[in-house]
Amino acid sequence: MMFDTTRTTGGFGDPLPESGILEGFDRLIAANRLFGAELNPTVIKKSGKGAPFLVCPHPSRSRMLDLWHDLFANRVPPHGFLDALAPEVLGLAHVEGLLLFGKDRVLYDCQIARGDEAVGHLTLCFYREREPVFRFLPFPRRPGRRIVYIEGISLTAQSTGYASSLFRRYERLFHDLGFHRFRLKASLSVGKYYWAKEGFDCEDREQFAGMRESLHALVRRLGLPVEEQEIRRLNHASMVAAFRRDLPIPVYRNAEGYYAVERDASHAEEFRFPLGKAFLLCSAPWDGFKVIYTDTPRRTGYVGSDRYLDHGTRPGHVESPKRLEALFAAIREGGMGESLILLEPYVPAMESLRAVHDPAYLEAFREAVDRGDRQFAVRDCSISKGTYAAALLAAGGVMAGIDAVFSDRADNVFCAVRPPGHHAGRASAMGFCFLNNVAAGAHYARSAYGVGRIYILDWDVHHGNGTQALFEEDPLTFFCSLHEHPSFCYPGTGRRLEKGTGAGRGATLNIPLPPHAGDTEMIEAFERDVVPSIEAFRPELILLSAGFDAHRDDPIAELECTEDAYVHMTRRVLELADRHCEGRVVSVLEGGYRMESLVSSAIAHIRTLQGREVPPCSSARG
Amino acid sequence: MFVGPRMKRALVTVTAGATLEEAARLLKAHRIHHLPVVEEGNRLLGIVSDTDLRNATLGGMFGGADGGDSGRPVTVGEIMTRDVVTLRPGDTLDDAMLVLTHERIGALPVVEGDRLVGIVTKADILSALVSSLDIGGMGVRIEVVLPRDVKEVARLAGVLGDLRAEVRSLVLAPRGADEYAAFVRVATIDVGSLKGRLREAGFKVPEVAEFLE
Repeated sequence: MMFDTTRTTGGFGDPLPESGILEGFDRLIAANRLFGAELNPTVIKKSGKGAPFLVCPHPSRSRMLDLWHDLFANRVPPHGFLDALAPEVLGLAHVEGLLLFGKDRVLYDCQIARGDEAVGHLTLCFYREREPVFRFLPFPRRPGRRIVYIEGISLTAQSTGYASSLFRRYERLFHDLGFHRFRLKASLSVGKYYWAKEGFDCEDREQFAGMRESLHALVRRLGLPVEEQEIRRLNHASMVAAFRRDLPIPVYRNAEGYYAVERDASHAEEFRFPLGKAFLLCSAPWDGFKVIYTDTPRRTGYVGSDRYLDHGTRPGHVESPKRLEALFAAIREGGMGESLILLEPYVPAMESLRAVHDPAYLEAFREAVDRGDRQFAVRDCSISKGTYAAALLAAGGVMAGIDAVFSDRADNVFCAVRPPGHHAGRASAMGFCFLNNVAAGAHYARSAYGVGRIYILDWDVHHGNGTQALFEEDPLTFFCSLHEHPSFCYPGTGRRLEKGTGAGRGATLNIPLPPHAGDTEMIEAFERDVVPSIEAFRPELILLSAGFDAHRDDPIAELECTEDAYVHMTRRVLELADRHCEGRVVSVLEGGYRMESLVSSAIAHIRTLQGREVPPCSSARG
Repeated sequence: MFVGPRMKRALVTVTAGATLEEAARLLKAHRIHHLPVVEEGNRLLGIVSDTDLRNATLGGMFGGADGGDSGRPVTVGEIMTRDVVTLRPGDTLDDAMLVLTHERIGALPVVEGDRLVGIVTKADILSALVSSLDIGGMGVRIEVVLPRDVKEVARLAGVLGDLRAEVRSLVLAPRGADEYAAFVRVATIDVGSLKGRLREAGFKVPEVAEFLE
């Protein structure tokens, strides 16, 4: 067994019975630690224990149970939750922790103390976004992502590293509980970070009116499309602050990747960002250059199977089972299995495969394997008894990944599959490929989930000729490939002039790179050509043909990239996916033939998909 | 292999405001057929060919439906092709050949960003091929048809070596589904004997007449 699937995620297992949760509520009520909360209609005071909400009697038990179920799926009991939120860190503890139930959110409010001395306070807010079912209509709405944000935090003891340590634990905790975002909403001068002031420093009505007026003035000055109405509706300092923080404003970037609020001779390229982020980009101490990621790690799915190892190739063949063996081992030993959502691949229905491949071709493939042939179609395609089954399962693995992102089991998925697929055409096997896994996934997404625009990005060092041919005339499936120039590298196709045919003209983008090109050229081409094409296409799903053979240590071709290029491209793809398709990315392994660089690149890619251990970077150059 | 080293850098260009007469004069004086149209800083705006010029002036000569002069183009900017197919210096000659055939045009401006840095014409590609294959060189061409097996190619080279043939160039291309055609240029006056010896060694060397079908 590849992983121990009996182990539950992070200590939170199956939902607890409702009676247990209700009992938990009663216990906390009896101990005076559970109340209700409603928004404070008057402006808040900066000093003291002010909060933007008022404590009030708790709502009915059934309302609280509904909320608990919605937010936590009843996987954690109320007092267990309070305990989990209050670890002792660096000698500081939480005291008088309260759970407060609002109309649609749960708040955690506590004092932070060192021994007997109160040194600060913390308020967290847990809620669930409601997103419109139909993109253009405000109603009806359905439950969306779970968000936790820091409503307020203050600490008299600064620079102790307390906030960073606490937040690091919280990231893990919230991730395990299934939360998508962990945000800083308040102004903070805590720890190493300096954030835009969010308007909690608001002493009286007059000052509040001033806040609204300055928001008006900002909107007018920048000519932003904001209605009078929208500003008038903001009747609380925190609401004004939130509105301001999320307001998209134009900023201007220069050639080196530095941003400014005003356009000038060197800062000419316009971008739109929420004001909070724009502020960070344009001001010191970050030199207008760095973006801080506050999101919790994403929920990344992982498809793998020992059955992929059954596809044997002749001795000395580079596409060997050892590639995946090494990758599986590295993931196991690195403990990554615990943070990934394990997904089982399945054998797809033959109809799904016939959407991609000629039935006669599929038959011929199966027969060749059953007969015991040593190769199918060409010498490169070495086969063994387990090849047909492994190939089916590889295509099915991508489909399992698609299922996971569309049923909200995962935010993104990595499919560690073999045999690879991007050279396989409708009726042709070549370049170690038999069935086109990514194409099968794309067709499946369309037929099972009605997905419209799909963007396929292939960064394997070889041109994805199979995938290109399959979608050449399809304007809804954009195919983009970065590869070593066809004059020097297999399979000899993928020239810039190949842009798609018929209705699909313009939906194919080939970016050949000269031999010995490395990170700089790859990233430059990616930023210059790939990023704008994804923005313009507005995909509803992004598929990656993620081969790692453009690495400098890989002997099969002559590009000289490192893990940095893969990390950069992955991060940018995720940013774009967040903007256009709710972060839905399914990544599929293609090539990568030197064990060490395949493993290190794939792991760096997966870590980036998870949003973990990624240092802050600019968008221009990681 | 790359376009950069092979392209012509000394460029004759014209501005969008130039008249058709000026353009025609330039084409004639430099004996070229294409004029890239540029603006300040060599920024490429379009391209105009002698065919474009001819169509514009002939069209004017026979007049429009109203027989008058109205609507007759006067400047290069009015007749140039704006959607120019271009190459980059990092592209290869294969790219150039494929584009020229595919797009059925005669010249490819080479750009860096939107700045014109060179031009590659069909004629340039032809001369590159001619010189690299030594087509104009001294020698006679023999065609040998082989089964599609690399070992046969090695055998052919071995036999030519044993015969001490002075081989100037050897090009191998696929022929049908299961054969190769090898085009050998040899610098020998006595080609007849050489062909005879190749046939004795079991190679298929068709006579010229057999290709004239």
